[in-house]
Amino acid sequence: MRAFSLFSPPKVLADGERKKRRHMLARLGLAWLAMMQVMMFAFPGYLRGSPSSDDASLLDQAVFLMNWCSLALTVPVVLYCAWPVWSGALGRAQRAHLGMDVPVALGIVAAFIPSAMATWSGRGEVYFDSVTMFVAFLLTARYFELCARQAIGIGGLHRHLERYRRALAARADSIAAWFTAAQLLLALGAGAFWHAADPSRAVGVVVALLVISCPCAMAMSVPTAIAAAHARVLRRPDMDVAEVDALARATSRVSRQSLYGSMAWHLLMTPLAMLGWVQPWLAAITMLLSSLAVGANSWRLYRRDCLPAGDWPADAIQGA
Amino acid sequence: MDAALYLLLPISLVFALGIGVAFWWAIFAGQFDDTDTAAKSILGDDDGPRLD
Repeated sequence: MRAFSLFSPPKVLADGERKKRRHMLARLGLAWLAMMQVMMFAFPGYLRGSPSSDDASLLDQAVFLMNWCSLALTVPVVLYCAWPVWSGALGRAQRAHLGMDVPVALGIVAAFIPSAMATWSGRGEVYFDSVTMFVAFLLTARYFELCARQAIGIGGLHRHLERYRRALAARADSIAAWFTAAQLLLALGAGAFWHAADPSRAVGVVVALLVISCPCAMAMSVPTAIAAAHARVLRRPDMDVAEVDALARATSRVSRQSLYGSMAWHLLMTPLAMLGWVQPWLAAITMLLSSLAVGANSWRLYRRDCLPAGDWPADAIQGA
Repeated sequence: MDAALYLLLPISLVFALGIGVAFWWAIFAGQFDDTDTAAKSILGDDDGPRLD
């Protein structure tokens, strides 16, 4: 059994953790399923703006129908798949602490409510595709994080690395909180500006900014790097303390790279979104890309001088 | 054209719902819990000569 299997949980997992993993996988899969459907249903809506649509009434009818289908698919995504976001945001709000769930929840609400109203009235833009993409991509990042965390739980616990983890995680959390607060203020300001300048685009700009403000990639930077370090220790249990120290320094370097890299990426996208150049769905994709880049950076730490290049991992063959 | 839309869209919704339910069942029935043992059972087979 590999230390990291994305779909089958580790065998020694406690019941509660196993249930959490199953729920997370179900939420992730259903969100992706609904997302694919809703993205297809969104297509006629994008056609409507183009001048070449010669049969406008038929197109309007199709858009109307497909908006209702999208709404039917988006409601379960918002209520069931995004449940961890709601519970997290409510818990945070009670403790008056700004986590990453608050901007995510605001982003979902800001996109979903106007879309549902537009569907009901049959006029205006809908953002169901952005909502489902946002939820699906966010859950993908969180699922990877959960897998990484649960993989750490198995095997002898590696205290030496834990010490580094605490320091790194505390710093990453405080950076992410400041970052999120600044982004929220920016989103509000940009929303007010666009509402005065061009009200029809205000919702799109605010949704894109709220999507970008989600620090999911930043939240992934420390757990994935630490998980990669633990996986390396698991692979080579005979490491001495000096080697583990070197590994911990490498881990800290990689997680810092990921943290500042994803922050720079967000800061680069923010002005573009404020100018209205980034559609909400594009913002969701850039968010997924930065999360994947963080995951890949940590994976590099695990790969480096650990596996011979071009060779299968030994335990995949031996079933260790 | 209209009729096809009104027929096909609900059907696609029903299919998506069916896939979602099947996926849900597979997860909570434990279908993804162990993807390893069944695949490797053939390797642990007793390949010695038959004694009967």
